[in-house]
Amino acid sequence: MSMGDTSLVEWIATSLLVLGALFYLAGTVGLLRFPDVHCRLHALTKADNLGLLLVCAGLGLLACDWQVAALLGTIWLLGLLAATVSAHLIARHACRDHSATSSRTGSA
Amino acid sequence: MNLAVDSLIGLGLVALAWQAISGRSLFRGIVMFVVFGLTMALAWARMGAPDLALAEAAIGAGVTGALMLVALRRLVQLHPDQPAEPKRARSRLALPIALLAASLVAVIGLGAVSVDREPGRAGVAVMDNLAETGLSNPITGVLLVFRNLDTLLEVAVLLAAFLAALAVFRDQEQAPAPPRGDLPLVGALLAIIVPLTILVSVHLLLAGSHEPGGAFQAGAVLAAGGVLLILAGRLQPASGMPLATALPLVLGLLVFSVIGLAMMLTGAPLLALPGLWAVYLIEAAMMISIALTLVLLFAGASGLRRERP
Amino acid sequence: MSSAVLFVIVAALLFGIGVYGLIIAGHLLRKLFAINIMGNAIFILMVAASGPLDGKPDALPQALVLTGIVIAVSATAFALALMVRLYQLTGQASLHNNEGGDD
Repeated sequence: MSMGDTSLVEWIATSLLVLGALFYLAGTVGLLRFPDVHCRLHALTKADNLGLLLVCAGLGLLACDWQVAALLGTIWLLGLLAATVSAHLIARHACRDHSATSSRTGSA
Repeated sequence: MNLAVDSLIGLGLVALAWQAISGRSLFRGIVMFVVFGLTMALAWARMGAPDLALAEAAIGAGVTGALMLVALRRLVQLHPDQPAEPKRARSRLALPIALLAASLVAVIGLGAVSVDREPGRAGVAVMDNLAETGLSNPITGVLLVFRNLDTLLEVAVLLAAFLAALAVFRDQEQAPAPPRGDLPLVGALLAIIVPLTILVSVHLLLAGSHEPGGAFQAGAVLAAGGVLLILAGRLQPASGMPLATALPLVLGLLVFSVIGLAMMLTGAPLLALPGLWAVYLIEAAMMISIALTLVLLFAGASGLRRERP
Repeated sequence: MSSAVLFVIVAALLFGIGVYGLIIAGHLLRKLFAINIMGNAIFILMVAASGPLDGKPDALPQALVLTGIVIAVSATAFALALMVRLYQLTGQASLHNNEGGDD
């Protein structure tokens, strides 16, 4: 991409993509640094879903095509759905594990 | 720029492969292996092979990872108290042999890349004759028309692997079903995801004639839906193989060979297909067989039974 | 350096890692990772080293690799079944028999 003929839309899309990548980075740092399962899930689902939304929005803007944009929106919704349910299952499992052996926090 | 992206993917592949081999625990190894498969899918996309990217993500990463996880769970169930991993072998020869093997691959590959290449003749022939088949995805053309004996035998190998695995498990107790509680979220997810996997697999099947996709990718996606149903307890492993299971299991092989052999009666060569409809019919049958085989491999059982929530 | 050369080098490294892992791995599951990594290395080699046709990638090696991926999964599935069975019968999931030696 040469700098001369970069349009406003491309600038916005690029900033959305970069912002999305930053949220992914934040989510991953949280996943690695947070102390226990619930905090990690919090970082993973919240930050990454926002990151995915921003990346999808950026790509949709770049594509300039309603079909592609609708497809990206569907991808985001599916990602949201999968993240919700899997986070729920993992948290539930962690709760049970925790109540079984309450001394093992943070080793998961 | 492109080279930078490719280098990152390549570095990731090497690091993940190393982690899978030498990481801390077996579970971690499986996770690394699955991520390796997904990164391979990215690499295929970068190499201009979207069909392979789809197949790798669905089959190479998804199905293989699921099978490995379920095998690891069986190991843990068999001897829960035993430390899972035996010690590594110590071998002074391992490193030199690995270096030798790596340089062999490098020499072959760099030799093939650096010579002033003519395009492969078989590849040119595929592109020249593709229009006759009515397909516009050359890979589906190769798989279903030009070299369909390979594909027929590939389906046979998958079936043989399943039957062999079944024979190994024959006199073994079924693994107990995962505990089911009231999981309203999971039910809601299944109600959306399962119809969607069917939709996506049929789309992949039909798209295979003119864009990336095909019976194997479609079958793997369909199998993912089945695996979800097993994990949620809606499908349970069962012993015995009713006709309703056995028939779809061999459907791909059956339809493929019957059409291929019937055409021989009319004087056509072996496995010459009568038209585009035959390609779609065979692919649909193969999709069903592949999906069922993969689901049964995951279940480690010869049959499935439905469980009403 | 072109992308083809880069991926050939990646294939060589992966193959080396696979061979090394196959030799040193204690657990059979790790040996299976290693074999699958070696297979993937050869798949990359086949696609990266085949030349483009009129600017498009050659379809033939891609179709062969697609077949190879499915065969690899079939073989892996059977190998996993054998591994579980071996563990069930002997309580070990490794091939070298140093620590036991009782049979």
